[in-house]
Amino acid sequence: MAVGLLDAAPAQLFPEQVTNALGLPGVVGEFVGALIAAFLVGNVMLAFTGVAGPWAKRKITAAFTDRIAVDRIGPFGLLIIPAAAVQLLAKELIIPEGADRPSYDLAPLVLPASAMLGFAVIPMGQLGPVNLQLADPEVGFALTFAFASIASVSLVMAGYASNNKYSLLGGLRAVAQNLAYEIPLIVTAMSVVVFTGSLRTSEIVAAQQEALFTVAGVTIPSWFAIVNPFAFGLFLVANLAEIGRNPFDIPEAPTEIVAGYQTEYSSAYFVLFYLGEFLHIFLGGAILAMAFLGGASGPGPASIGFVWFVVKVWAFFLFTQWCRSALPRVRIDQLIEIGWKGMLVLSFANLILTAVLVGVIAS
Amino acid sequence: MSLQDPAGDLETADEASAVVERDPDELAELLGDAVIGREEHVNAPGFVIRSDAVQDVLSTLKEEAGYDHLSVVTAQEYENRYESIYHLKKYADPTQEVSVVVPADKQNPVSESAEPVFRTADWHEREAYDLVGIEYDDHPDLRRILLPETWQGHPLSMDYDKDQPQVVSLREHANPLQADHREDESDTMFINIGPHHPATHGVLHLKTTLDGEQVADVESDIGYLHRSEEQMAQSGTYRHQIMPYPDRWDYISAGLLNEYAYARAAEDLADIEVPEYAQIIRTMGAELCRIAAHMLAVATFALDINGDFTATFMYAINDREQAQSILEDLTGQRMMFNYFRLGGVVWDLPEPRAEFFEKTRDFLDQLPGSVEEYHDLLTANEILQMRTIDTGILPPEVAKNYGATGPVARGSGVDYDLRRDDPYGYYDELDWDVITEDGCDNYSRLLVRLQEVEESAKIIEQCVDLLEDWPEDDRTIQSNVPRTLKPEDDKEIYRAVEGAKGELGIYIRADGTDKPARFKIRSPCFSNLQTLPEMANGEYVPDMVAALGSLDIVLGEVDR
Repeated sequence: MAVGLLDAAPAQLFPEQVTNALGLPGVVGEFVGALIAAFLVGNVMLAFTGVAGPWAKRKITAAFTDRIAVDRIGPFGLLIIPAAAVQLLAKELIIPEGADRPSYDLAPLVLPASAMLGFAVIPMGQLGPVNLQLADPEVGFALTFAFASIASVSLVMAGYASNNKYSLLGGLRAVAQNLAYEIPLIVTAMSVVVFTGSLRTSEIVAAQQEALFTVAGVTIPSWFAIVNPFAFGLFLVANLAEIGRNPFDIPEAPTEIVAGYQTEYSSAYFVLFYLGEFLHIFLGGAILAMAFLGGASGPGPASIGFVWFVVKVWAFFLFTQWCRSALPRVRIDQLIEIGWKGMLVLSFANLILTAVLVGVIAS
Repeated sequence: MSLQDPAGDLETADEASAVVERDPDELAELLGDAVIGREEHVNAPGFVIRSDAVQDVLSTLKEEAGYDHLSVVTAQEYENRYESIYHLKKYADPTQEVSVVVPADKQNPVSESAEPVFRTADWHEREAYDLVGIEYDDHPDLRRILLPETWQGHPLSMDYDKDQPQVVSLREHANPLQADHREDESDTMFINIGPHHPATHGVLHLKTTLDGEQVADVESDIGYLHRSEEQMAQSGTYRHQIMPYPDRWDYISAGLLNEYAYARAAEDLADIEVPEYAQIIRTMGAELCRIAAHMLAVATFALDINGDFTATFMYAINDREQAQSILEDLTGQRMMFNYFRLGGVVWDLPEPRAEFFEKTRDFLDQLPGSVEEYHDLLTANEILQMRTIDTGILPPEVAKNYGATGPVARGSGVDYDLRRDDPYGYYDELDWDVITEDGCDNYSRLLVRLQEVEESAKIIEQCVDLLEDWPEDDRTIQSNVPRTLKPEDDKEIYRAVEGAKGELGIYIRADGTDKPARFKIRSPCFSNLQTLPEMANGEYVPDMVAALGSLDIVLGEVDR
């Protein structure tokens, strides 16, 4: 168990490393370096969604439902990814009469963009000497939530601008759902901040590196999921609602309101929405990993931390797909009831409990 | 039943009087001078009544004689008159039947509507108006139901010219999706759910008015899958040409149950005996179909509640596939079986028989495990319980008023199953139970289906046991039936079986030729679907979808 190795992590962030490695001088150099770094990280995330959407999701769902799924093109059917890309982009882009432009066109851009922004402050661990974190501002933790919640703006825009009643219902549901879940989500996340005393994402991760206790030679790290499983559970549920997956896929609810806010979107716009949704799942996983699962820590040297980070993010993706295969969907009024009457109360209780515990330990 | 009187003994007394069988003369006396003639149908006595006394007669029969189930309204045209027949039964004892025959004037076919007495008459009379052309006085909403609003003529009437093209100008051809339903002062929103929508299980169009997310009003628009099944049956010969059609009514693997309906009606009409051996095969095949159909119902209900990508759907489809595979071995076809013949079945069990029995037993052995899994995934799931318990309520009295049958009625605690109450085939020789649940909600209907699967498995197992030990020299699969069947002129029969969705009945009037003069299908889905507004009004959209899913309609059977 190499817990604590991250203490030796290089202080330099990814953009600085890129700038230094390329020897770019001055402010312009820093800017170019940052752009390159962001480009690289963004592409890694897009590659994840590229694999997840057309291939991994099919394979995972198939495994849950006793099927085989894509296996004809390429090894394990992997070439379905380019095939699906060509197919989706080659489709006609149909824009309904009476659509409210430009919000109709902007909505599919806002959704993936908001998720991509969220990744800017997530510490994704090391890969060799490279420290994969784009920025580490003092309020990084709050920033991720701020970015992530821009998503609901996109859903409302899409729902309203499509000039379709199903889309409108989907958009309205999205707002109601986000209001009901964002607050418990953030209040629960605050309990993590109470533990660490910092909003800086790197410090939140660092605070989880110490050994909690050792059982039979196995060191249990002080991940917040282990320190406070109650908060972890709350956060997990709220996170599912935040990314709109079963049992909370209410804004889309295919058997009720066709496809909700994305009913009228086709071709590239549809791809962007899909991309945005998957990015949000991965962002949800990244936040969960960062706040509760020790970020990029795991067995082995710190230099493979990114691998652990990826594993955790994909584990969360798998979890969402599992829920999707197994769980029924709640009704919108029930969801709001759970959110306002249940989760909110529980999350405040958790916050108070955490504060008391931290106070007791500190004194 | 007296709702005002809390005394329980009074109610039971009432119930008892409902089951008392009265002979036709007593009934005639009860109905008084509304009766202008008597007929004798094969299944029931018929009373010819005045066309302006329909409501009086039906409410007397309902209130005082206990005939609380209007199965179907058959309309037809004779050389000299139109005629509507109300086939009445008792939920408590469906062997007690009576036909109320209402003749209407040839030139001006108007007859009083039965809708105020039986809500179910609403759609049945609309269909009669649509296809035959009888007009019903006092009907709340007499419009076409299966054919487009702009259709010219009534296809089952005698003077209908089928070669005349339906010329409808573009302006006249109302597009139901185009109407502008905006009102200035209204807080509600009109939305078309269907005809193409993931939740409508086919081409059903629900004209829905929403108040926020709540359903203020819903109206089903059906007929998109109307294929003139009755007309086609009327132009086929009894002996061979009609049997393939029933497979296409409730086409999701309930084929043999539908064939049973035709076989039963036609065999009773022409006095054909079915050998015991063939009856057991029929019963086994029919129950396999019921399992397959219920599996699909559970699967699609899971889709409605869980959303797509649910594992339950694939599991249920997988189980259905096994039933389907056994049926394929038996009949040679996966869905359009065409396996029954009048007087038996077309061929014996597949050889080697031992292999077939083993395959069937294997299926039955793993079935309890599968059902357990559905209980784990669906009925035991708290979220599903939250969604389905106390939603889509259909009280038993309402269910009866709408002529609901099958799992829909049994989920409302109406203990009505024709396999037990009006036995046919080999059912009364076997040991099984009728399942009822008193919840009246979406959850009860799901429970009923899951439990019925197990009951069907019991029946199949007993049939397999019997077939396995059946002496080899006594395996008669068909009785002797004349090559050309010509039932006597003017013989009329209405016979029903318990289909996958409920009472699937067929009315046949013979005219002495080898083809039926009138062939009327009583589709359980047609009556069941009518209850949707009762279940959905005031509920949220998701619950309406769930209620629709729990009705388990097949549009092929609704529209015929």
